[in-house]
Amino acid sequence: MFKPLLTSLAVAVGSLAVAGSALADYPERNIQGTIQWGAGGATDNVARSLTPHVEEILDTTIVLTNRPGGTGVIGMNHVMRQRADGYNLLYGAENPQLYPLMGLADFTYDDMHAVNIIGQGLVVIAAHPNSPFDTFAELMEYARENPGELRMGGTGAGGLPSTVHAMINAVDELDVRDVTFGGDGPGVTALLGEHIDFMPLSLSAVAEQIRGGRLKGLAVLTSEELESLPGVPPITQALPDIEAFLPWGPFWGVFVHQDTPDDIKSTLEDAYEQAVAGDEFQEFLTNFGGATLNLSGDEAQAYLDNWQSVTAWSMHEAEAETVKVSPEELGIPRP
Amino acid sequence: MSDTFSFLLMAWLDPGLLSLTALGVLAGIYIGAIPGLSVTMAVSILISFTFSWDINNALALMVGIYVGGVYGGSRTAILLNIPGAPSAVVTAFDGYPLAQRGEAGRAIGLSTVMSVIGGFIGVAVLAGTAPYLSDLALQFAPRDYFLIAIMGLLLVSTLSGKSLARGIFSVALGSTIGLVGMDMVTAQPRLTMGSMELLGGIHYVVVMIGLFGVAEAFYQLHNMAKVPVKQNVDKIIPPLNMVLKFLPLSIRTSIIGVVVGALPGTGGDIASLFAYDHAKRTVKNPSSPFGEGAYEGLVAPETANNAAVGGAYVPMLTLGMPGDAVTAVIIGALVIHGLNPGPMLMIETPHIFWFTVGNLALANIFLLIFGMTGIKVFSKVVEIPKAILIPLILVLCVVGTYSINSNMMEVYWMLGFGILGYWLKVYGFQMGPIILGVILGPLLDETYRQAMSSVGDSSSDFLLALVANPLSLALTTVITLVLLGNTPLKGWIMARFARN
Amino acid sequence: MSKQFERVQAGEKAFDWLLLLFSIGVLIEAFRIDGEIRLNSAGSFPVGLALVMLASSVAILFSHRRKRRDPRIRSARHEAEVFLHEHFQPHIVIFSVVAVLYLAAIVWASFYVSTFVFLAALFIYFRQGKFISSLIITSAAIAVIYGLFTMVFRVYLP
Repeated sequence: MFKPLLTSLAVAVGSLAVAGSALADYPERNIQGTIQWGAGGATDNVARSLTPHVEEILDTTIVLTNRPGGTGVIGMNHVMRQRADGYNLLYGAENPQLYPLMGLADFTYDDMHAVNIIGQGLVVIAAHPNSPFDTFAELMEYARENPGELRMGGTGAGGLPSTVHAMINAVDELDVRDVTFGGDGPGVTALLGEHIDFMPLSLSAVAEQIRGGRLKGLAVLTSEELESLPGVPPITQALPDIEAFLPWGPFWGVFVHQDTPDDIKSTLEDAYEQAVAGDEFQEFLTNFGGATLNLSGDEAQAYLDNWQSVTAWSMHEAEAETVKVSPEELGIPRP
Repeated sequence: MSDTFSFLLMAWLDPGLLSLTALGVLAGIYIGAIPGLSVTMAVSILISFTFSWDINNALALMVGIYVGGVYGGSRTAILLNIPGAPSAVVTAFDGYPLAQRGEAGRAIGLSTVMSVIGGFIGVAVLAGTAPYLSDLALQFAPRDYFLIAIMGLLLVSTLSGKSLARGIFSVALGSTIGLVGMDMVTAQPRLTMGSMELLGGIHYVVVMIGLFGVAEAFYQLHNMAKVPVKQNVDKIIPPLNMVLKFLPLSIRTSIIGVVVGALPGTGGDIASLFAYDHAKRTVKNPSSPFGEGAYEGLVAPETANNAAVGGAYVPMLTLGMPGDAVTAVIIGALVIHGLNPGPMLMIETPHIFWFTVGNLALANIFLLIFGMTGIKVFSKVVEIPKAILIPLILVLCVVGTYSINSNMMEVYWMLGFGILGYWLKVYGFQMGPIILGVILGPLLDETYRQAMSSVGDSSSDFLLALVANPLSLALTTVITLVLLGNTPLKGWIMARFARN
Repeated sequence: MSKQFERVQAGEKAFDWLLLLFSIGVLIEAFRIDGEIRLNSAGSFPVGLALVMLASSVAILFSHRRKRRDPRIRSARHEAEVFLHEHFQPHIVIFSVVAVLYLAAIVWASFYVSTFVFLAALFIYFRQGKFISSLIITSAAIAVIYGLFTMVFRVYLP
């Protein structure tokens, strides 16, 4: 009974070894997809709703695994250490672009190949409906008179709220108590219970709460009012100077090992481009509060570089506590 | 009203939904029973799988897996002393001794009936009080979660056996293990000793599998020659008078389960700990001493963790906020299917709420049916000779650990915890308090710092906040009373009063 | 409480001393997170926990004063012998060594091959021969694992 099993195992092991060189029929087995963030989060939702379309195009199975932890360092590190044969994909968010700056790791997306920058999320600064502030300008004014009194929800160093806070501090001054939560979800829950005063969040996390009247938007991180959030003023109304950093938002992308053979890279790029452009995924993304980018190749690289330089320098200028190295030392050009 | 009923009964009347729920429960029991395979994992795999399905079909399958999975964790806890899931850790305390006494069949049968009772109470509370309960849950500020974690720590006296000092050491050790990794606030590495692998922390299931499974395997090597206990499989279904006897306890522990489950920051694992503690404090004459095979010690956690399922759905369905990791994934599934989980969900798509309620009730019926099957075969696991069982346990632990994150490093740690657990066991330390620490440590750290930051890092304001708010004051009072009643302080106060 | 003295097991005292040393090590590591004592920062809890561990391990060591050595153990040397005899029986040592080899082998020999060898070897050793039945049980176990994990749950095994 076990002999044929052993033989088939030997064959399987052998074929694994050959797979690296025999590129002709990629993909010929299951692909491992690693998601950098936990189940149920934004990156996870995007990855899981996009992947079935890609599976259809590539005619294979992509086994998705969540490898959260360390602001995404763990998952990315895992994929980078796998064989460069195109059978290991990384679904990631914006955070790796700031790793060296914060001393979390010495790699960024520059050390991988971007298959597709799927889309970008919008940011809204939310508060409880009972909050005395109706716009972000009012909140800023109160905070100027009462420094260190308001409680801002955050998700830790390198998270979206801390980056937005740094941008605000780069053009103005906002002195608040920073209350850190394990993610958007727990933060929103605390906001609903009025245990914090406001929190910068990705629109996908709060759109429904705002629509249901459980939260209100003080500002959106754009230079114009959003169609999907009427009545919420753009942040430039309160802080005109912040326009220099816009448009800015968290993004989601798919990446492979840098040394992956070129034809595999292009097979993947084509598949993902087609999948992201598909109607069903587009509908999901709009519903989810995100904007499509669908960038690959040079365009993707340019986007990543620009995002990194804008964010790194704004954090540097704000003298954010988390910035361990100056962007200059890391060779990140000024925006 | 008639609409409500039709949604409620939808899963019961549609053969497709009925069979998907059944399939889910059956699969869930086995997923839950295997350490390392978690319901969260199964449900998230299902999202890709059920992507093109009708939303009701996908939800029915997920509800089934959730209900079956929470129950399934007790199987391996009872039979092998390896909890299949963190919420079944407590089940092992009394379940495993029962199996060692030849009562594995009875233990599984009882845990099935009790899980179903807990499940139904959870569903009833969900259906009847969801909006109120979720408003109550929102009242819990970080400081209240901190107080809950402290209350949890008081269980150490319940769990530490003979030596309290050893218990306290174990809790602190567990909490320390739980804190390893990148700090949530500052992203500083903590206690990682420069290891990249440790940045992400140590998954608590890794610790659990090592301390319970591998340590037990090593421990059993000492009595290899001992003939396994013959299992009595005639009395599987608990007699009615037994169920009735435990009914008051099971109702109380179910309520504990559903409330703790409804809090977005706590889930079935913490609920079952509280329930066990409650049982130990209130039941004066258990069937055997707690920790040595008391039926009450089985009833409490099993009712509580299944009641917590209904609880976890409360914030999810009313507010779109997850009650635990599984409901977080289910929210993702709703999003992907084009629904908008949030406060409007119940108003715009009330059928999702009633469908889920009906479906949960149905899943519990199937749990009763499937939970009672296969017990005879499973009980035989305990009768497998040690020479075969011990190597198999190690393989199961390896597979289970690897399935969590597909990380070999975690398998090595698991073995390390197994060896550590063996020595701790030899020298009179209990595993329960370590797991208690692993679960509560990060919660304590997180909520303490949130509470401190909220009051601007002022210790006096922090202490004031603990008594200034009615909810916090109530929790503080309970903690104080338990502390007074449980420590030498009680004797000291009594003595003083007596002298006066 | 009874007046009877609890008995100290072979090696217990040494183990409790090790725990004390371990607590000190944790305390040093924890202190290095912040480099100072602060009430609300990354290091506050780890330092606090290390102190609790330290205090309780001291308490455990103190409790030895109320215990007596097992009367069957005569000297330190004899204690070491009892310790070795109890915890380093040949089959335990072999199991541990084979388990470590097995974990090391998984990475380069693949999961199924190394598991097969591991199970077969231990079954044959523990059951003192019985080659055929051991191999059959091993194959059955592997088949179940393959069916359950690889086919049904599609868990990726190394």
